[in-house]
Amino acid sequence: MPRGELPRCLRRAVDSLSTLPRPQCDQTIRQARRSLQPSTSRCLLSTTTSPSSSLVNNNSSNSSFERFTAAPEIRFETQDDTNKGGQGGKINLRTLRIVPASPSYFSAKPTFTDDFINLTALLRTVATLPVVTPAEAPKVAWRTVDQYRIMTNEPVKTQRFHKMLHVLRRLNCIHPTLMPKQVSDAMLRYKKAAQPGDIKPPPGIIDQAGRAKGVGRRKTSSAVAWIVEGEGEVLINGKSLAQFFGRLHDRESAMWALKATQRLDKYNVWALVTGGGVTGQAEALTLAVAKALLVHEPALKPALRRAGCITRDPRKVERKKPGHVKARKMPTWVKR
Amino acid sequence: MPSSVCIRSISHLVRDRAAHTSIASRCLFAAPQSAGFSTSAARYALPSKKKTGTVAAPKRGVKSLNVKKGRKGVQVDTAKRPAQGERRALRKRIVLSNNNALEVPYLTDLEKTSALSKKNQGQVKGLPEEVVDSLRAVEAFKPTQGWSLFRRPATLIRKETVQLAALLKVAEGHVNSTEQAVEGREDGEAVDGAKEVAEVTAEEAVAVAVAEEGPKKTIRRVIVGEKMSGKSSLLLQGLALAFVRGWVVINLPDAQDIVNAHTAYAPLPESEPTQYTQDIYTANLLSQILKANKGFFSNTTPITTQPELGVPLPANTTLEQLVNIGINNPDISWPVFVALWAELTLPGRPPIMLGIDGLSHIMRNSEYFSADVKPIHAHDLTLIRHFIDHLSGKSSLPNGGMVLAAISKSNSPTSAALDFSISVAEARQARSGNLPTWNLYTKVDQRVMDVLKDIEVIKVGGLSKAEARALIEYYAASGMLRAKVDEPFVTEKWSLAGMGNVGELERATVRLRV
Repeated sequence: MPRGELPRCLRRAVDSLSTLPRPQCDQTIRQARRSLQPSTSRCLLSTTTSPSSSLVNNNSSNSSFERFTAAPEIRFETQDDTNKGGQGGKINLRTLRIVPASPSYFSAKPTFTDDFINLTALLRTVATLPVVTPAEAPKVAWRTVDQYRIMTNEPVKTQRFHKMLHVLRRLNCIHPTLMPKQVSDAMLRYKKAAQPGDIKPPPGIIDQAGRAKGVGRRKTSSAVAWIVEGEGEVLINGKSLAQFFGRLHDRESAMWALKATQRLDKYNVWALVTGGGVTGQAEALTLAVAKALLVHEPALKPALRRAGCITRDPRKVERKKPGHVKARKMPTWVKR
Repeated sequence: MPSSVCIRSISHLVRDRAAHTSIASRCLFAAPQSAGFSTSAARYALPSKKKTGTVAAPKRGVKSLNVKKGRKGVQVDTAKRPAQGERRALRKRIVLSNNNALEVPYLTDLEKTSALSKKNQGQVKGLPEEVVDSLRAVEAFKPTQGWSLFRRPATLIRKETVQLAALLKVAEGHVNSTEQAVEGREDGEAVDGAKEVAEVTAEEAVAVAVAEEGPKKTIRRVIVGEKMSGKSSLLLQGLALAFVRGWVVINLPDAQDIVNAHTAYAPLPESEPTQYTQDIYTANLLSQILKANKGFFSNTTPITTQPELGVPLPANTTLEQLVNIGINNPDISWPVFVALWAELTLPGRPPIMLGIDGLSHIMRNSEYFSADVKPIHAHDLTLIRHFIDHLSGKSSLPNGGMVLAAISKSNSPTSAALDFSISVAEARQARSGNLPTWNLYTKVDQRVMDVLKDIEVIKVGGLSKAEARALIEYYAASGMLRAKVDEPFVTEKWSLAGMGNVGELERATVRLRV
C-alpha cells in the first residue's frame, strides 16, 4: 500500500462520520483518486456494503468486481438512539471499526494484488470477444517491472509481474475494432508514457522548386540530400560523384536507392556530407537519398526496404575499455 | 681500398718464411702464420665462447619466448632479378591491340578530307595505320589509357574534338571553312542547350576574329579538365588530326622528363641569361620528329639556309640528313633543332603542331642546378623556352599551326600561377564580369604569370549522353562489354561516371567488370 494510504483511510472514515451526506463525500474522494489513477478500479467501499448505494452500483457497472462481504454497516441512528441525552450526538470512537479500502490490504502487496485481480476479472468478462494473433495486435510498450515497482512502491516479484503481463497481452489481443473502452482504459495504467509510433515525423514536403530533402547517417557520417526531378546529375559537396568517390563501389552505394529502383535517370541529386570516412559517407548518402526519394514517391518504401535503404545501420566503433588494449583486446600474457 | 690491401699482402708475401728460410730465424718481426692472401686461419679458428653469466630476467612486457622456426638458415632469395630497365619497360609498355576483342564492323578511319568535319561528332573513328605509327613515335599513347582493350586504336570524336578540329581549320587558313565551322557550332549549340553557350561563344569570337585577321594563324590553347576527363586523349586526337592533315608534329610527350634532371644538360654558350641545352633529350626528340613525320621528311627539298653547326654539311643536304646529323651527334643536337625549326618556318612549309603534356611541370623551377648551385627555372631550358615562347604568343608560326598544352590532374606539382591563369582564362571565356584576383599572400612566379597572361583554354567536360551511348555501343561491339545497351544502362553508367567523365565511364563499363 502506498504511503499515506492508511491515514487517508482513517481520515475518510472520520469524515464519513462527521459530515453528511456521506455518499457525496465519498464521491469526491473517489473522483480525486480516479483522476490520479485513471484505470484503477479498486474497490473503495470503505464501510459501505449496502447495495442501495448508487455509487456501488455505478462502480460495479463500470468493472465487475467480485463481491465480498465486509463488516456490517455502522448504524449511527441506533447508536444515536442508545446514546441519546448522554453524549449529545458525539460518536464513540471506540466503537468504530476501521475497514481498509481494499480487501487485499492485509496481503503483502495490496496494490499489485488488486491490479492482478482486477485484470483477471476484466479478462473473464471479455474473454469471449474475438481476438487477433499476437503478431497482429497493436504494438505496446508495457511498463517494466522496475517501473511498476516504483509506481506502486511494492516489492513485486518479476515472475508475478510477468503473469500479469500475460493477462495484459491477452487483453491487448482483443480485436482492435471491438476493443471495449473499459479494457483500453484499464490497460493504460500499465503502458509506458511513450509508445512506439507515438512520435510521427512530419511528412516530407516538396518545396516550390521541386526539391525534397532527406537526411541519413552511418558510423560518424551524416548526409543531407536534396532530390529534384532531372536526368541523373549528381553533385556531392560541390563535386561530381566520380570526383568525390574514387571507388566505384562507393559511388554505387551512394546512389543505391536510385539504382535499385531504376530511378537513376529520373532525378538529380545535390548532397552535403560531413564526418567519417569514405565508406561511411557513401552509406550515409544511401539513406539520405532514399528518404528524399520517399518524399517524391512514397510507394517505393517496400522496394527501398528490400534494397536495404530504409534501416539505419546502428553499428559504431566500440569504445576502448580500461585494462584493454583496444575495445576487447587484452594485453599479451607475460610470464613474469 | 682494395689496392692498398693487395699491396700489403704482397709485402707479407715477400716476408713469408717458407720462401726465405735463410732469414726466417733472424726475422724479428712477428711474422704472420699464414700467407697474407689466406683467410682460412680466421675462418677455421674456434669460435669465441659466448659470454656466459646470469642474464637478467626479461622486462615486463618484453617477449622472451622465441618459438619462431627456421631462424638459423636464413633463406637467400635466389629468384632472378629483373634486368636493368626491364621493370620500367614493362611499366611504360604500350599495347595497342587486343586479339581477343572483336572487329567493329562499322568502324571507319579518319580521312584527310573529312577529318575536320563537324559531322563526325558523336562517332567513334579508327586511327589510320600510319597515324598510329606516328603517334607511337611521338609517345602520344599513354600506358594508362585503355588502348590495349580493343582490336585497334579508335577514338570517340566528342564535342571538344570537333571544337579542336574547327581550330585546326582556322590554323590552316580555311576562312570559308572557318565560317562554316562557326555556323555549324551554332547549330550544335542549339541542340546541346544553353549550358555551353558561354564557353563556345568565346571560342567562336576568337575564331571569327582569327578568320578576319589573316589566312594562317597560330592557335594557342591549354587543355584543362577534371581528372580522367580525357585531356591527354584530346591532345592525342589533336595530334592525330594534325598527322592526318599532313602537319609537322613536334610533341613533348611528358614535361616531367625534361625537368626532372634525368638527362644531361649544359649551359648554352653566349646566352644571356644563361640557358641550358639538353643534348641527349634533344637528339632523342629529333629522332622522334623524324620517325613521326616520315611523309614530310621523305619528300623535302634540300635545305636552303646555311646553319652554323660546327660540322661541314655536304652540298644539297636534305632535311632528313640534317636531322640525322643531330641524332648522331648529340653535342650539336640543339643547333640542329634550331636549324630544323628555321627550315620548318620557311614559307610554303606545312603547318606545325606543337604539343606538350603535363604543363604544370614546366611552370616552376626545374630539378637542375646552375654552376652556383641555384635552381634553374624550367623556362631557362632551351627546349622549354622554345615551346613557351610559342605558347605565350611571343613567337608565332608563320605557316600556321597550333600550340597545344595539356595539364594533368594526377601528376602535377602545384603551380599557383598556372592555376590562377587558368581560372582567369575560364572566367574570361565565360564572359563573367568579375575576374578572379591574385591572392597577395601567395608567392608569385612572375615568369609564369607573364607567359600565361592571355592564354586560352579548352575545357574538357563530361560526355553528353549521346556521346556516352556511342562509346558504350562501341565497347559492346568490340565484345568488351556484355550487356544490353539501352537508355537506362547508358544513363546509369553516365551517372556513376560522374556525369559522363570518359575515363570513369571506361572504368565502370569495360575495366571493372563484376
